[in-house]
Amino acid sequence: MEILQYTLRKLVTGIPLIFGVTLISFTLMVHYGPDKTYDLLGKNPTQEQITEVRHQLGYDQTFVVRYTQYLQELATMNFGYSDSSGEKVSSILIRTMPVSLALILPGFVLGNLLGIILALISAYHRGYWIDKVIMGVSVMGMSVSFLIVIIAFQVIFSSSKGLDLFPVRGWDVYSFTDYIHYVTVPTLASIFVSLGYNTRFYRAVIVEEMGRDHVRTAKAFGAHPIELLFKSVLKNSLIPIITRIMFSIPLVVISGSLLLESYFGIPGVGKVTYDAIISGDQPILKAVVGLTAIMFVFTLIINDILYKVVDPRISLK
Amino acid sequence: MVNILLQNFKWLNGLLLFMVAMSLAGCNAAVDIDKALEGHLKGPAKIYRHSLRGAPSSLDPVNAATVYSNFIIVNIYDTLYRYKYLARPYEIVPNLAVDMPEVSDDGLIYTIKIKKEVFYADDPAFLNGKGREVIAEDLIYSIKRHFDVSNRSQGSWLWDGKIVGLNEWKDAGSNYNQTIQGLKAVDSHTIQITLFKPYPQLTHTFAMGFSALVPHEAVDYYGREFSVHPVGSGPFKMLRYESSNYALMIRNIKYRQEPIDLSFEGYDPKLHKQYGIDKIAGKSPPLVDALKIDFIKESASKWASFTKGNEINFSGVPVEQVDQILTQKKPTLILTPEMSEKYHMFHTIEAGFVHTDFNMRDPLIGYNDDPIRDKRNKKLRCAIRSAFDWKERNDVFYSGIAVEYPGIIPPVVPEFDPHLSNISTLRNVDEAKRMMLEGDWTKDNVPTLVYGGAASVSTRQIYEQFRGWMKDIGFPEEKVVFDSYASFGDFNKAMKEAKIMIIGSGWILDYPDAQNTLQLFYGPYGSPGSNNSNYNNPEYNRLYEQTSTMLPSKERTQLYRKMNNIVIDDCVSITGLSRDNIFLWHKSVISYPDSGIVGGFHLKFVDMLDEEGK
Repeated sequence: MEILQYTLRKLVTGIPLIFGVTLISFTLMVHYGPDKTYDLLGKNPTQEQITEVRHQLGYDQTFVVRYTQYLQELATMNFGYSDSSGEKVSSILIRTMPVSLALILPGFVLGNLLGIILALISAYHRGYWIDKVIMGVSVMGMSVSFLIVIIAFQVIFSSSKGLDLFPVRGWDVYSFTDYIHYVTVPTLASIFVSLGYNTRFYRAVIVEEMGRDHVRTAKAFGAHPIELLFKSVLKNSLIPIITRIMFSIPLVVISGSLLLESYFGIPGVGKVTYDAIISGDQPILKAVVGLTAIMFVFTLIINDILYKVVDPRISLK
Repeated sequence: MVNILLQNFKWLNGLLLFMVAMSLAGCNAAVDIDKALEGHLKGPAKIYRHSLRGAPSSLDPVNAATVYSNFIIVNIYDTLYRYKYLARPYEIVPNLAVDMPEVSDDGLIYTIKIKKEVFYADDPAFLNGKGREVIAEDLIYSIKRHFDVSNRSQGSWLWDGKIVGLNEWKDAGSNYNQTIQGLKAVDSHTIQITLFKPYPQLTHTFAMGFSALVPHEAVDYYGREFSVHPVGSGPFKMLRYESSNYALMIRNIKYRQEPIDLSFEGYDPKLHKQYGIDKIAGKSPPLVDALKIDFIKESASKWASFTKGNEINFSGVPVEQVDQILTQKKPTLILTPEMSEKYHMFHTIEAGFVHTDFNMRDPLIGYNDDPIRDKRNKKLRCAIRSAFDWKERNDVFYSGIAVEYPGIIPPVVPEFDPHLSNISTLRNVDEAKRMMLEGDWTKDNVPTLVYGGAASVSTRQIYEQFRGWMKDIGFPEEKVVFDSYASFGDFNKAMKEAKIMIIGSGWILDYPDAQNTLQLFYGPYGSPGSNNSNYNNPEYNRLYEQTSTMLPSKERTQLYRKMNNIVIDDCVSITGLSRDNIFLWHKSVISYPDSGIVGGFHLKFVDMLDEEGK
């Protein structure tokens, strides 16, 4: 009951947040977004044709009218049709979001899990060579550009000049085996670049926890290192870890990963969003921005509930 | 340890299950080429994988404005005419039409018969899902759609003000039930078009994706989403379309049987035998069962996919790879032995050109009300042109294999003059300085040159090169600035509103007739029209209007060349260069590829060799 009340309260207080995010993003889109008028016109257009296209795109309406329409679209989840391809925006999102999720999820989960494990090892052996090696490799992973990693991994794992084990491009996924075939290299690339950031962040959190009294007590009691790390340290470090993971989810789900999708030829929402930004396809942009804002509100609520789950001392009131 | 982990983190099991579930959610809806062709395959499916460096914006013929859209559209839909597969220069021939148009003596009435028993591909849009016969009314309907404002046509300019009654039909509200005087179906398979005045390029317009024949049932059925659900009578049928990734098409099993006559298509054993073209003689297109076209902008990824061997079969050559794959660039391109063992190569001059225009509406560099300043501005433009180094531009950005030539008539059209003096394309710093002096231009009084372009590394590099050349003739560095636009849309808007002083630009021809490039400098087509330089010379305009109704002839060619010289003499544009496109494809593929005007038409002739090389 407490959780339900809290959720409803948060949903209500989340509305101003959605208004704020959508208002700022809409203002940016309207004032700074590309103007599609001339892209959609033929050669030698008349003033009448220009006016007609601007009218069809809604450019001739006031900001207030356009923003109100946007809120209506958001409320009804009906974002109309793409200005470029003419496809229904909801169809595009329904088709591409699961693909992005399936692409990103393994790398996201494994990158975080491995990051936590390496951070635990590193923190436990703080100051020793193993800590220095893990931190050194983390910095290396953070320093290399994602683009270089993608191209290098394509050459190493997929190209005829490398191991030639996986496809360079595509997403012809009809079974779980196909899925593993297509997702492996993007996942490896994604883990490679995220691992450094994750490990360093989690290590900092865990090192702080390691210095607390209850950990020293457990050590003095002779607790097994694994038990100590997972039961006494990790459990008590979960709040910042959950925060980091949870707030990454909306971006993973909605925005996808542009670079992975572009270079591996994967039909996900990241590439669709990028193309929409470049071409000024406002119906798609409005949908992506609006949905991201809504997901952030939900994430905020789930995040707080998870705090309560991992630390019962926290009150949702 | 595992026990401790499992005891403390039972949620991990749930997480793993969630991962598997989500990954399966990302699987494609089952699209199996073999299944789609079930009952129509005699052996394993032949699947050809092409690649394009950009994605189509729309597959509705009314929006076939980009090279990429046109490329796909001509494979799904039928056009009345097409270009011969192998003949160069391009030769227009009937496609859906039975013959070339019958034209009245005054050049105003075109009568075109279309083939009988040509059917649209089966689609749920039709009664019982069975594609009906293509009829003359379909062309009329398809042209009418361009003049229905709700369709936001990008191709109406082709017939705007040219066909009797068409504009009036539009002005009266685009009622499809109303007939148009100049656009009639004489019978179910004969079309008659009446023009206000002769329009020699009309037949070419019927070889463009814009004029593809569309069934009204599909437009009604799919509504706004017709642009992603194309239904036509062309050689292929769309199976799956991911607008920014790929198009997967299968053979249209109802496509008419027309055995290939190689000599008709322009076969020359010296040129074409090396590609195995002789093997397709007598076969009926399309020759592959499925066609997948990947849209790949990332050149590194495209190259890795192409050289892998079992992914894309065709690739253009990224600029950064040109030096790696060639042993010789001049006088002809030669592949390295390693590459020629694996791949076929063909290269051709693009049907278009790149040029840099001066905005003549800008009084700082173009037309000026003060006659003295007007003359000085011309000197300034001519000086800038003389400082421009096409050879270096070619070497740095086009691997040194593009073709430089004077004026605005590119080599790909028959009106090109190979004997025209190329002095306007040669860098001559002394001459440039002399003209600066004659125009009384010094480093203190020269206007700030503003070079506009969409933000990208290559545009910035092109600008920096330009700035270097201007510095050589006395422009202070700070007086050559870059006006960067966040996207091409913004750049295009500024260009169409005549806000850019110096415009780096390119043009892909719509049809192989110099009229298509000469219109770029026709005064009435100034911004927001296609005349981005806003050049407005009465003599040029008069000649353009005079030639616009002339059929191809020596006299017309002479007038075209005269117009070309006027543009050169007025230093309106720094021209020109046509890129040399290099195509590579796997040896298992029989093809003679092309892009631009005729791009896409060749795909129905592409065949794949089996493992035994047959």
